[in-house]
Amino acid sequence: MVSKKVVVNNASGLHARPASLLAQEAGKCSSDVKIFVGEKKIEAKSILNIMAAAIKKGTEIELQCEGAQEQADLAKLVELIESGLGE
Amino acid sequence: MVNIKVDKTASRGIAVAPAYKYQEIELSPDTYIPGSVEEETEKFYQARDEVMETLKKLSADNEIFAAHMEIAGDFMLQEGVISKLQSGQQNVQQAFQDTIEEIAAIFTGMDDAYMKERGADVKDIGKQIMARLKGTTLPDLGNMDREYIVVAKDLYPSDTVKMDTRWVKGIITEEGGVTSHVSIMAKSMNIPALVGVKGILAHVEDGMTICMDAKNGEIIVDPDKTVLDEYEDKKNAYQQERLRLEQLRMQPAVTKSGKRVSLCANVGNVEDIRHAMVMNIDGVGLFRSEFLYMENTHFPTEEEQFAVYKEAAVLCPQELTIRTLDIGGDKELPYYQFEKEENPFLGWRAIRISLELKDMFKEQLRAILRASAYGHVRIMFPMIISLWELQESKKLVEECKEELRQNGIAYDEGIEMGMMMETPASVMLADEFAKEADFFSIGTNDLTQYILSVDRGNKKIAERYDSFHPAVLKAIGQIITAGHKEGIKVGMCGEMAGDSKAVPILLEMGLDEFSMSAGSIDYARELILNTI
Repeated sequence: MVSKKVVVNNASGLHARPASLLAQEAGKCSSDVKIFVGEKKIEAKSILNIMAAAIKKGTEIELQCEGAQEQADLAKLVELIESGLGE
Repeated sequence: MVNIKVDKTASRGIAVAPAYKYQEIELSPDTYIPGSVEEETEKFYQARDEVMETLKKLSADNEIFAAHMEIAGDFMLQEGVISKLQSGQQNVQQAFQDTIEEIAAIFTGMDDAYMKERGADVKDIGKQIMARLKGTTLPDLGNMDREYIVVAKDLYPSDTVKMDTRWVKGIITEEGGVTSHVSIMAKSMNIPALVGVKGILAHVEDGMTICMDAKNGEIIVDPDKTVLDEYEDKKNAYQQERLRLEQLRMQPAVTKSGKRVSLCANVGNVEDIRHAMVMNIDGVGLFRSEFLYMENTHFPTEEEQFAVYKEAAVLCPQELTIRTLDIGGDKELPYYQFEKEENPFLGWRAIRISLELKDMFKEQLRAILRASAYGHVRIMFPMIISLWELQESKKLVEECKEELRQNGIAYDEGIEMGMMMETPASVMLADEFAKEADFFSIGTNDLTQYILSVDRGNKKIAERYDSFHPAVLKAIGQIITAGHKEGIKVGMCGEMAGDSKAVPILLEMGLDEFSMSAGSIDYARELILNTI
């Protein structure tokens, strides 16, 4: 299991469009992907779960991957979030 | 056979076609005894996959549906349904309904207006899957492949956007007035429409033939042969009239005594302009820029707005009057949270918002200025009540000009800056405003509402909403006189400008420009040509 902290930089936080992209990309990973924000544990493959967490701009989240490809998956998702999730 | 008289014609025309009742269907869960958990789960998967398949097709044109598809296929939804099936005696419909409500509640409970809206998305998808589970189909205007007259309680932009103009022959709604969304849309699409027809849904069965005369205000449900023949004649006569009007199109709008006036269009987007140009208009008297803001996920940027205004300016080189953002009142933005107000029409709206959110306002002004290099563009400020507001707005335009100048970006230095005359204050100070503004445009919808203190959306007092009230007519006369005294042009961009009873009066008063929905232009031209 590997994890990394990353800050969300999207102007309006993880709204529908960025949340959708994140869930889609997480869905392609073979790892089990979770996001931790404060006390909350979020299933990264669920767009509803991500949106319901209402993650605002500037929030630090912890991304956790577990599985055979965990290193590669984590790196890919961290890069995606850092690059602004297509926005 | 039922014969119904209607006094509100939203958009003219004659139509005969089968009715299509567009209304909510019953979607509460059936109370059958559930099968095995596997059987019930399988029903969920099947219904969900069918919905996702449909959404996938739609998502090719619209990315909102891609997000909807994501929600439909969501893990959280699936887990919720399965865990309920495993733990309880529920059938899949009940389990699904409970899950959707739980998820929607998470969103609707949020403070953020944008997130609240997502609760509506979840419910919308919930309805689609539920309909499949129940083995029924949801009414969908986008799925029609035959001619029909849509009969509904009311129609919203999300409904009308799906309508295919090849098949919609007419629109009848129980609610709505002539200035409501559906009326404005029907006029711009040239579809006959009658609104405010109370009880129509009870008179009509799906598929029943309807004859509608959206000119004299008559609806005949389930007509006999005589009526059908009569309508055949009416339809022909109407087509003759259309033809006659179309032949007049190339004549400029000049009265019998030789007074030339401008005949212009009110538009909400570039498509509307294209549609109106066919009618040989003298320009666009009102470009409602708020649609750019309303049909968006964020405040449109300078570049995004510039692209639209430029296209509009090139398309309509005669004159393009862009009204700056007129939001608030009954118009909201999906991505911006407005505080709840006791009296939104007397609240934070239009220029009051723009002068507070200055950066946003300047993005729009720069976009308009840049477009002015490509045509004859005019800026119009809405809801002005004080000289200060007008001067402050003009000052911001000057600041924007300076910024563009420094960056070597082209714009029209002499761009005209005018104002909407739609508040009682603007009428009382019309003399002073005429010295500051380059033109006036009378917005009769709001002017009537404010002068008479009659809420134009309130059905109970709809009869009191009257643009021909002596107080309103007197105000219009005063505005025109004040404008002419300072040598500026006075136009009108409310629905009244296209009203057959109003046009001769307004000509008499000396109005210079008549701006209206595309559907009224041909009629107004004929009226002008026939007035002395």
